[in-house]
Amino acid sequence: MKEFQYLLPHTVAEAVALKEKYDKAAVFMAGATDVVVRMRDYLLTPEYVIDLKAIPELGGITFSKEKGLHIGALATMNEICADENVKQYYPTLAKAAGSVGSKQVRNRATCIGNIVNASPLADTATPLYCYDAIVEIAGPNGTRELPITEFILFVRKVALERGEMVTGIRVPFKEAQGEFCKISRRDQVDLSTVCGTVLKIDGTYRVAMGSVAPQPRRLPKTEALLNGAPLTPERIEEAAQLATTEVSPIDDVRADKQYRLDMVAYIVRNALGKLA
Amino acid sequence: MEYRVRFYVNNEPIELSVPANRTLLSVLREDLALTGTKEGCGAGECGACTIIMDGKAVNACLILAPELDGKHIETVEGLANGSELSPLQESFIEHMALQCGFCTPGMLMSAESLLRENPHPTRAEIVDAMSGNLCRCTGYKKIVEAIEAVAEKGVYEK
Repeated sequence: MKEFQYLLPHTVAEAVALKEKYDKAAVFMAGATDVVVRMRDYLLTPEYVIDLKAIPELGGITFSKEKGLHIGALATMNEICADENVKQYYPTLAKAAGSVGSKQVRNRATCIGNIVNASPLADTATPLYCYDAIVEIAGPNGTRELPITEFILFVRKVALERGEMVTGIRVPFKEAQGEFCKISRRDQVDLSTVCGTVLKIDGTYRVAMGSVAPQPRRLPKTEALLNGAPLTPERIEEAAQLATTEVSPIDDVRADKQYRLDMVAYIVRNALGKLA
Repeated sequence: MEYRVRFYVNNEPIELSVPANRTLLSVLREDLALTGTKEGCGAGECGACTIIMDGKAVNACLILAPELDGKHIETVEGLANGSELSPLQESFIEHMALQCGFCTPGMLMSAESLLRENPHPTRAEIVDAMSGNLCRCTGYKKIVEAIEAVAEKGVYEK
Protein backbone atom coordinates (compact mmCIF):
# COMPACT_ATOMS: atom_id res chain seq x y z
CA MET A 1 0.00 0.00 0.00
CA LYS A 2 1.30 3.44 -0.96
CA GLU A 3 1.70 6.00 1.84
CA PHE A 4 -1.21 8.36 2.37
CA GLN A 5 -2.67 10.70 4.97
CA TYR A 6 -5.58 9.47 7.04
CA LEU A 7 -8.22 12.12 7.70
CA LEU A 8 -11.07 11.74 10.18
CA PRO A 9 -13.70 14.48 9.83
CA HIS A 10 -16.49 14.72 12.41
CA THR A 11 -19.15 16.43 10.29
CA VAL A 12 -20.41 16.15 6.72
CA ALA A 13 -19.39 19.78 6.12
CA GLU A 14 -15.81 18.97 7.16
CA ALA A 15 -15.74 15.85 4.95
CA VAL A 16 -17.05 17.78 1.96
CA ALA A 17 -14.51 20.59 2.50
CA LEU A 18 -11.65 18.07 2.58
CA LYS A 19 -12.86 16.33 -0.57
CA GLU A 20 -13.32 19.64 -2.37
CA LYS A 21 -9.80 20.69 -1.40
CA TYR A 22 -8.02 17.46 -2.33
CA ASP A 23 -10.43 16.34 -5.10
CA LYS A 24 -9.04 13.36 -7.02
CA ALA A 25 -6.12 12.94 -4.62
CA ALA A 26 -8.59 11.94 -1.90
CA VAL A 27 -10.87 8.96 -1.53
CA PHE A 28 -13.76 8.49 0.93
CA MET A 29 -13.76 5.36 3.06
CA ALA A 30 -16.50 3.85 5.22
CA GLY A 31 -16.35 0.05 5.62
CA ALA A 32 -12.96 -0.06 3.88
CA THR A 33 -13.63 -3.54 2.49
CA ASP A 34 -13.21 -2.33 -1.06
CA VAL A 35 -10.93 0.69 -0.62
CA VAL A 36 -8.25 -1.19 1.36
CA VAL A 37 -8.16 -4.09 -1.12
CA ARG A 38 -7.85 -1.68 -4.04
CA MET A 39 -5.10 0.28 -2.30
CA ARG A 40 -3.30 -2.94 -1.44
CA ASP A 41 -3.32 -3.88 -5.13
CA TYR A 42 -2.27 -0.32 -6.14
CA LEU A 43 -5.49 0.09 -8.14
CA LEU A 44 -6.14 3.10 -5.91
CA THR A 45 -3.23 5.28 -4.85
CA PRO A 46 -4.77 8.23 -3.02
CA GLU A 47 -2.74 10.82 -1.16
CA TYR A 48 -5.58 11.26 1.33
CA VAL A 49 -8.09 8.79 2.72
CA ILE A 50 -11.12 10.46 4.31
CA ASP A 51 -12.65 8.06 6.84
CA LEU A 52 -16.36 8.82 7.33
CA LYS A 53 -16.88 6.63 10.40
CA ALA A 54 -16.60 9.47 12.95
CA ILE A 55 -19.57 11.37 11.48
CA PRO A 56 -22.56 10.41 13.69
CA GLU A 57 -25.21 11.84 11.34
CA LEU A 58 -24.26 9.26 8.66
CA GLY A 59 -25.18 6.25 10.79
CA GLY A 60 -28.35 4.31 11.17
CA ILE A 61 -31.37 2.91 9.41
CA THR A 62 -34.79 4.50 9.91
CA PHE A 63 -38.20 3.53 8.57
CA SER A 64 -41.77 4.80 8.50
CA LYS A 65 -44.53 4.02 6.00
CA GLU A 66 -44.83 7.74 5.23
CA LYS A 67 -41.14 8.47 4.69
CA GLY A 68 -39.97 5.03 3.64
CA LEU A 69 -36.60 3.53 4.48
CA HIS A 70 -33.52 5.66 5.05
CA ILE A 71 -30.11 3.99 4.94
CA GLY A 72 -27.29 6.12 6.31
CA ALA A 73 -23.88 6.06 4.65
CA LEU A 74 -22.41 4.11 7.56
CA ALA A 75 -25.11 1.42 7.84
CA THR A 76 -23.41 -1.94 7.38
CA MET A 77 -24.70 -4.84 5.31
CA ASN A 78 -25.26 -6.88 8.49
CA GLU A 79 -27.20 -4.04 10.12
CA ILE A 80 -29.37 -3.84 7.00
CA CYS A 81 -30.07 -7.55 6.66
CA ALA A 82 -30.82 -7.87 10.41
CA ASP A 83 -33.10 -4.82 10.55
CA GLU A 84 -36.69 -5.86 11.33
CA ASN A 85 -38.25 -3.21 9.06
CA VAL A 86 -35.96 -4.08 6.14
CA LYS A 87 -36.74 -7.78 6.59
CA GLN A 88 -40.48 -7.14 6.73
CA TYR A 89 -40.96 -4.42 4.12
CA TYR A 90 -37.92 -4.79 1.84
CA PRO A 91 -37.09 -8.53 1.95
CA THR A 92 -35.32 -8.40 -1.42
CA LEU A 93 -32.93 -5.75 -0.09
CA ALA A 94 -32.36 -7.72 3.12
CA LYS A 95 -31.52 -10.80 1.07
CA ALA A 96 -29.21 -8.85 -1.24
CA ALA A 97 -27.34 -7.22 1.66
CA GLY A 98 -26.99 -10.62 3.33
CA SER A 99 -25.52 -12.13 0.18
CA VAL A 100 -22.49 -9.81 0.09
CA GLY A 101 -19.12 -11.35 0.99
CA SER A 102 -18.74 -13.05 4.37
CA LYS A 103 -20.06 -12.24 7.82
CA GLN A 104 -16.77 -10.51 8.58
CA VAL A 105 -17.03 -8.36 5.43
CA ARG A 106 -20.71 -7.56 6.09
CA ASN A 107 -19.84 -6.33 9.59
CA ARG A 108 -17.87 -3.53 7.92
CA ALA A 109 -19.10 -3.11 4.33
CA THR A 110 -21.83 -0.52 3.76
CA CYS A 111 -24.70 -0.43 1.28
CA ILE A 112 -23.80 3.13 0.30
CA GLY A 113 -20.24 1.99 -0.42
CA ASN A 114 -21.65 -0.82 -2.55
CA ILE A 115 -23.57 1.74 -4.63
CA VAL A 116 -20.81 4.39 -4.82
CA ASN A 117 -18.34 1.73 -6.01
CA ALA A 118 -20.67 1.37 -8.99
CA SER A 119 -19.72 -2.17 -9.82
CA PRO A 120 -22.06 -3.65 -12.45
CA LEU A 121 -22.63 -6.58 -10.09
CA ALA A 122 -23.28 -4.62 -6.87
CA ASP A 123 -25.61 -6.95 -4.99
CA THR A 124 -27.75 -4.27 -3.34
CA ALA A 125 -28.27 -2.31 -6.57
CA THR A 126 -31.07 -4.26 -8.26
CA PRO A 127 -33.57 -4.13 -5.37
CA LEU A 128 -32.83 -0.41 -4.97
CA TYR A 129 -33.35 0.09 -8.73
CA CYS A 130 -36.73 -1.66 -8.53
CA TYR A 131 -37.82 0.50 -5.59
CA ASP A 132 -36.78 3.73 -7.39
CA ALA A 133 -34.42 4.56 -4.54
CA ILE A 134 -33.14 8.13 -4.18
CA VAL A 135 -29.46 8.91 -3.60
CA GLU A 136 -28.88 11.80 -1.18
CA ILE A 137 -25.81 13.87 -1.98
CA ALA A 138 -24.04 16.58 0.03
CA GLY A 139 -21.53 18.92 -1.56
CA PRO A 140 -19.95 22.36 -1.42
CA ASN A 141 -23.16 23.92 -2.77
CA GLY A 142 -25.54 22.15 -0.41
CA THR A 143 -27.53 18.97 -0.85
CA ARG A 144 -29.25 17.41 -3.83
CA GLU A 145 -30.95 14.15 -4.73
CA LEU A 146 -30.74 11.82 -7.71
CA PRO A 147 -32.68 8.69 -8.66
CA ILE A 148 -30.32 5.74 -8.28
CA THR A 149 -30.76 4.88 -11.98
CA GLU A 150 -29.23 8.27 -12.85
CA PHE A 151 -26.51 8.03 -10.19
CA ILE A 152 -24.55 5.03 -11.51
CA LEU A 153 -23.23 6.09 -14.92
CA PHE A 154 -20.82 3.33 -15.92
CA VAL A 155 -18.39 0.78 -14.43
CA ARG A 156 -17.04 2.54 -11.30
CA LYS A 157 -18.35 5.90 -12.50
CA VAL A 158 -21.02 7.85 -10.61
CA ALA A 159 -22.67 11.27 -10.96
CA LEU A 160 -20.75 12.98 -8.15
CA GLU A 161 -19.23 16.42 -8.74
CA ARG A 162 -16.11 17.80 -7.10
CA GLY A 163 -16.38 17.71 -3.30
CA GLU A 164 -19.61 15.74 -3.27
CA MET A 165 -20.39 12.67 -1.19
CA VAL A 166 -23.36 10.37 -0.68
CA THR A 167 -24.89 10.77 2.79
CA GLY A 168 -27.65 8.20 2.45
CA ILE A 169 -30.20 6.43 0.28
CA ARG A 170 -33.95 6.77 0.64
CA VAL A 171 -36.19 3.92 -0.44
CA PRO A 172 -39.86 4.82 -0.84
CA PHE A 173 -42.27 2.50 0.91
CA LYS A 174 -44.41 0.45 -1.48
CA GLU A 175 -46.25 -2.78 -0.79
CA ALA A 176 -44.20 -5.13 -2.95
CA GLN A 177 -43.89 -8.80 -3.68
CA GLY A 178 -41.06 -10.41 -5.53
CA GLU A 179 -37.60 -11.86 -5.40
CA PHE A 180 -33.92 -11.06 -5.36
CA CYS A 181 -31.83 -13.77 -6.96
CA LYS A 182 -28.04 -14.05 -6.96
CA ILE A 183 -26.36 -16.60 -9.21
CA SER A 184 -22.76 -17.21 -8.19
CA ARG A 185 -20.22 -19.98 -8.45
CA ARG A 186 -20.43 -20.65 -4.72
CA ASP A 187 -23.31 -20.07 -2.30
CA GLN A 188 -21.25 -17.85 0.00
CA VAL A 189 -18.43 -15.35 -0.26
CA ASP A 190 -18.59 -14.88 -4.00
CA LEU A 191 -19.35 -12.18 -6.51
CA SER A 192 -22.53 -12.35 -8.53
CA THR A 193 -22.26 -13.98 -11.93
CA VAL A 194 -25.70 -12.52 -12.50
CA CYS A 195 -28.05 -10.96 -9.96
CA GLY A 196 -31.53 -9.64 -10.41
CA THR A 197 -34.69 -8.44 -8.74
CA VAL A 198 -38.28 -8.79 -9.93
CA LEU A 199 -40.94 -6.89 -7.98
CA LYS A 200 -44.68 -6.45 -8.30
CA ILE A 201 -45.70 -3.07 -6.88
CA ASP A 202 -49.33 -1.81 -7.07
CA GLY A 203 -50.08 -4.32 -9.81
CA THR A 204 -47.15 -3.29 -12.00
CA TYR A 205 -43.89 -5.11 -12.56
CA ARG A 206 -40.33 -3.91 -12.14
CA VAL A 207 -37.31 -5.86 -13.30
CA ALA A 208 -33.65 -5.01 -12.70
CA MET A 209 -30.52 -7.02 -13.55
CA GLY A 210 -26.90 -6.79 -12.45
CA SER A 211 -23.64 -8.04 -13.96
CA VAL A 212 -25.08 -8.07 -17.46
CA ALA A 213 -24.26 -4.50 -18.59
CA PRO A 214 -21.75 -1.78 -17.65
CA GLN A 215 -24.13 -0.75 -14.88
CA PRO A 216 -27.10 -2.34 -13.13
CA ARG A 217 -30.10 -1.92 -15.37
CA ARG A 218 -33.91 -1.72 -15.27
CA LEU A 219 -35.55 -3.56 -18.16
CA PRO A 220 -38.29 -1.17 -19.44
CA LYS A 221 -39.45 -3.24 -22.43
CA THR A 222 -39.88 -6.33 -20.28
CA GLU A 223 -41.73 -4.29 -17.67
CA ALA A 224 -44.04 -2.78 -20.34
CA LEU A 225 -44.82 -6.24 -21.71
CA LEU A 226 -45.70 -7.52 -18.24
CA ASN A 227 -47.80 -4.49 -17.38
CA GLY A 228 -49.88 -4.84 -20.54
CA ALA A 229 -51.78 -8.05 -19.86
CA PRO A 230 -52.39 -10.84 -17.32
CA LEU A 231 -49.50 -13.03 -16.28
CA THR A 232 -49.97 -16.28 -18.20
CA PRO A 233 -47.31 -18.97 -18.68
CA GLU A 234 -46.91 -17.78 -22.29
CA ARG A 235 -46.46 -14.18 -21.14
CA ILE A 236 -43.84 -15.25 -18.59
CA GLU A 237 -41.85 -17.06 -21.26
CA GLU A 238 -42.14 -14.09 -23.60
CA ALA A 239 -40.87 -11.79 -20.80
CA ALA A 240 -37.96 -14.10 -20.00
CA GLN A 241 -36.86 -14.03 -23.66
CA LEU A 242 -37.43 -10.28 -24.05
CA ALA A 243 -35.34 -9.61 -20.92
CA THR A 244 -32.31 -11.18 -22.62
CA THR A 245 -32.54 -8.58 -25.41
CA GLU A 246 -32.32 -5.70 -22.92
CA VAL A 247 -28.95 -6.68 -21.44
CA SER A 248 -25.46 -6.84 -22.91
CA PRO A 249 -23.36 -9.27 -20.86
CA ILE A 250 -19.74 -10.11 -21.59
CA ASP A 251 -17.57 -13.20 -21.24
CA ASP A 252 -15.34 -13.03 -18.17
CA VAL A 253 -13.71 -15.25 -15.55
CA ARG A 254 -17.01 -15.97 -13.85
CA ALA A 255 -19.09 -16.99 -16.86
CA ASP A 256 -19.56 -16.56 -20.55
CA LYS A 257 -22.12 -14.33 -22.23
CA GLN A 258 -24.54 -17.10 -23.15
CA TYR A 259 -24.67 -18.43 -19.58
CA ARG A 260 -25.50 -14.95 -18.32
CA LEU A 261 -28.27 -14.56 -20.91
CA ASP A 262 -29.71 -17.91 -19.86
CA MET A 263 -29.58 -16.84 -16.19
CA VAL A 264 -31.37 -13.56 -16.93
CA ALA A 265 -34.19 -15.57 -18.51
CA TYR A 266 -34.15 -17.97 -15.57
CA ILE A 267 -34.35 -15.21 -12.93
CA VAL A 268 -37.30 -13.54 -14.72
CA ARG A 269 -39.11 -16.84 -15.35
CA ASN A 270 -38.58 -18.12 -11.82
CA ALA A 271 -39.64 -14.91 -10.03
CA LEU A 272 -42.69 -14.38 -12.26
CA GLY A 273 -43.70 -18.02 -11.82
CA LYS A 274 -43.99 -17.37 -8.08
CA LEU A 275 -45.96 -14.15 -8.63
CA ALA A 276 -48.45 -15.68 -11.09
CA MET B 1 3.23 10.69 8.81
CA GLU B 2 2.41 8.67 11.91
CA TYR B 3 -0.81 8.48 13.90
CA ARG B 4 -1.01 8.05 17.65
CA VAL B 5 -3.50 5.28 18.49
CA ARG B 6 -4.61 3.99 21.89
CA PHE B 7 -6.56 0.74 21.89
CA TYR B 8 -6.94 -2.56 23.73
CA VAL B 9 -5.82 -5.99 22.64
CA ASN B 10 -7.21 -8.80 24.80
CA ASN B 11 -7.89 -6.17 27.50
CA GLU B 12 -4.27 -4.94 27.50
CA PRO B 13 -3.98 -1.20 26.79
CA ILE B 14 -1.71 -0.46 23.83
CA GLU B 15 -0.32 2.85 22.65
CA LEU B 16 1.48 3.05 19.32
CA SER B 17 2.46 5.43 16.55
CA VAL B 18 1.49 3.94 13.21
CA PRO B 19 1.62 5.01 9.59
CA ALA B 20 -1.72 5.09 7.74
CA ASN B 21 -0.77 2.43 5.21
CA ARG B 22 -0.43 -0.39 7.75
CA THR B 23 -3.25 -2.79 8.64
CA LEU B 24 -4.40 -4.12 12.02
CA LEU B 25 -3.11 -7.51 10.88
CA SER B 26 0.44 -6.25 10.43
CA VAL B 27 0.30 -4.29 13.72
CA LEU B 28 -0.76 -7.43 15.60
CA ARG B 29 1.85 -9.67 14.02
CA GLU B 30 4.82 -7.33 13.62
CA ASP B 31 4.50 -4.69 16.36
CA LEU B 32 2.78 -6.72 19.07
CA ALA B 33 4.24 -10.16 18.19
CA LEU B 34 0.76 -11.69 18.34
CA THR B 35 1.32 -14.13 15.49
CA GLY B 36 -1.75 -16.27 16.22
CA THR B 37 -3.70 -14.15 13.75
CA LYS B 38 -2.67 -15.35 10.28
CA GLU B 39 -2.41 -13.72 6.89
CA GLY B 40 -3.95 -15.83 4.15
CA CYS B 41 -5.24 -13.82 1.21
CA GLY B 42 -4.85 -10.33 2.67
CA ALA B 43 -8.01 -9.29 0.84
CA GLY B 44 -10.91 -10.26 3.10
CA GLU B 45 -11.70 -13.53 1.39
CA CYS B 46 -10.18 -16.35 3.47
CA GLY B 47 -10.91 -15.37 7.08
CA ALA B 48 -7.50 -16.50 8.45
CA CYS B 49 -7.06 -13.06 10.06
CA THR B 50 -10.51 -12.98 11.72
CA ILE B 51 -10.46 -11.13 15.03
CA ILE B 52 -13.23 -9.61 17.15
CA MET B 53 -13.35 -5.80 17.15
CA ASP B 54 -15.82 -4.07 19.47
CA GLY B 55 -17.76 -7.33 19.68
CA LYS B 56 -17.90 -8.09 15.94
CA ALA B 57 -15.97 -10.58 13.83
CA VAL B 58 -13.98 -8.73 11.18
CA ASN B 59 -11.00 -9.31 8.90
CA ALA B 60 -7.87 -7.71 10.45
CA CYS B 61 -6.34 -7.36 6.96
CA LEU B 62 -9.02 -4.83 5.96
CA ILE B 63 -8.63 -2.46 8.92
CA LEU B 64 -6.24 0.46 8.64
CA ALA B 65 -3.98 1.02 11.65
CA PRO B 66 -5.22 4.60 12.36
CA GLU B 67 -8.76 3.21 12.67
CA LEU B 68 -7.71 1.40 15.84
CA ASP B 69 -7.92 4.40 18.15
CA GLY B 70 -10.38 3.59 20.95
CA LYS B 71 -11.09 0.05 19.73
CA HIS B 72 -11.25 -3.20 21.70
CA ILE B 73 -9.58 -6.04 19.82
CA GLU B 74 -9.77 -9.72 20.75
CA THR B 75 -7.41 -12.21 19.13
CA VAL B 76 -6.98 -15.96 19.42
CA GLU B 77 -4.33 -15.36 22.11
CA GLY B 78 -7.09 -13.98 24.34
CA LEU B 79 -9.25 -17.12 24.26
CA ALA B 80 -7.28 -19.26 26.74
CA ASN B 81 -7.26 -18.38 30.41
CA GLY B 82 -3.59 -18.82 31.29
CA SER B 83 -2.79 -22.41 30.42
CA GLU B 84 -6.46 -23.38 30.40
CA LEU B 85 -7.83 -23.59 26.87
CA SER B 86 -11.29 -22.23 26.05
CA PRO B 87 -14.16 -24.69 25.47
CA LEU B 88 -13.94 -24.07 21.72
CA GLN B 89 -10.18 -24.69 21.67
CA GLU B 90 -10.66 -27.93 23.66
CA SER B 91 -13.45 -29.00 21.33
CA PHE B 92 -11.37 -28.34 18.18
CA ILE B 93 -8.67 -30.63 19.61
CA GLU B 94 -11.16 -33.28 20.74
CA HIS B 95 -12.85 -33.38 17.33
CA MET B 96 -9.56 -33.10 15.41
CA ALA B 97 -11.04 -30.05 13.74
CA LEU B 98 -7.67 -29.02 12.33
CA GLN B 99 -4.89 -30.46 10.25
CA CYS B 100 -2.24 -27.93 9.27
CA GLY B 101 -3.76 -25.43 11.72
CA PHE B 102 -3.24 -22.30 9.65
CA CYS B 103 -6.94 -21.43 9.45
CA THR B 104 -7.67 -22.45 13.04
CA PRO B 105 -7.21 -19.08 14.81
CA GLY B 106 -9.61 -17.44 12.38
CA MET B 107 -12.05 -20.36 12.67
CA LEU B 108 -11.95 -20.08 16.47
CA MET B 109 -12.62 -16.34 16.43
CA SER B 110 -15.54 -16.69 13.98
CA ALA B 111 -16.98 -19.52 16.10
CA GLU B 112 -16.46 -17.50 19.28
CA SER B 113 -18.30 -14.55 17.75
CA LEU B 114 -21.15 -16.79 16.54
CA LEU B 115 -21.70 -18.50 19.91
CA ARG B 116 -21.68 -15.22 21.81
CA GLU B 117 -24.39 -13.88 19.50
CA ASN B 118 -26.29 -17.15 19.22
CA PRO B 119 -25.43 -19.76 21.92
CA HIS B 120 -27.51 -22.50 20.24
CA PRO B 121 -27.08 -22.18 16.47
CA THR B 122 -28.50 -24.74 14.06
CA ARG B 123 -26.08 -26.54 11.76
CA ALA B 124 -27.17 -24.26 8.92
CA GLU B 125 -26.47 -21.18 11.05
CA ILE B 126 -23.02 -22.52 11.91
CA VAL B 127 -22.20 -23.18 8.27
CA ASP B 128 -23.45 -19.73 7.34
CA ALA B 129 -21.47 -17.94 10.06
CA MET B 130 -18.30 -19.89 9.22
CA SER B 131 -18.56 -19.41 5.46
CA GLY B 132 -16.04 -16.55 5.52
CA ASN B 133 -13.32 -18.89 6.81
CA LEU B 134 -11.59 -21.18 4.35
CA CYS B 135 -9.90 -24.44 5.32
CA ARG B 136 -7.98 -26.39 2.70
CA CYS B 137 -7.45 -29.52 4.84
CA THR B 138 -10.40 -30.65 6.92
CA GLY B 139 -13.40 -30.47 4.62
CA TYR B 140 -15.16 -28.46 7.38
CA LYS B 141 -17.19 -31.36 8.84
CA LYS B 142 -15.14 -31.70 11.99
CA ILE B 143 -15.02 -27.94 12.48
CA VAL B 144 -18.82 -27.79 12.39
CA GLU B 145 -19.03 -30.75 14.78
CA ALA B 146 -16.57 -29.13 17.20
CA ILE B 147 -18.72 -25.99 17.32
CA GLU B 148 -21.94 -27.98 17.69
CA ALA B 149 -20.47 -29.86 20.65
CA VAL B 150 -19.67 -26.60 22.46
CA ALA B 151 -23.14 -25.22 21.70
CA GLU B 152 -24.72 -28.37 23.14
CA LYS B 153 -22.86 -27.89 26.41
CA GLY B 154 -24.51 -24.49 26.75
CA VAL B 155 -21.37 -22.71 27.95
CA TYR B 156 -22.25 -19.56 26.02
CA GLU B 157 -25.71 -19.17 27.55
CA LYS B 158 -26.13 -15.79 29.18
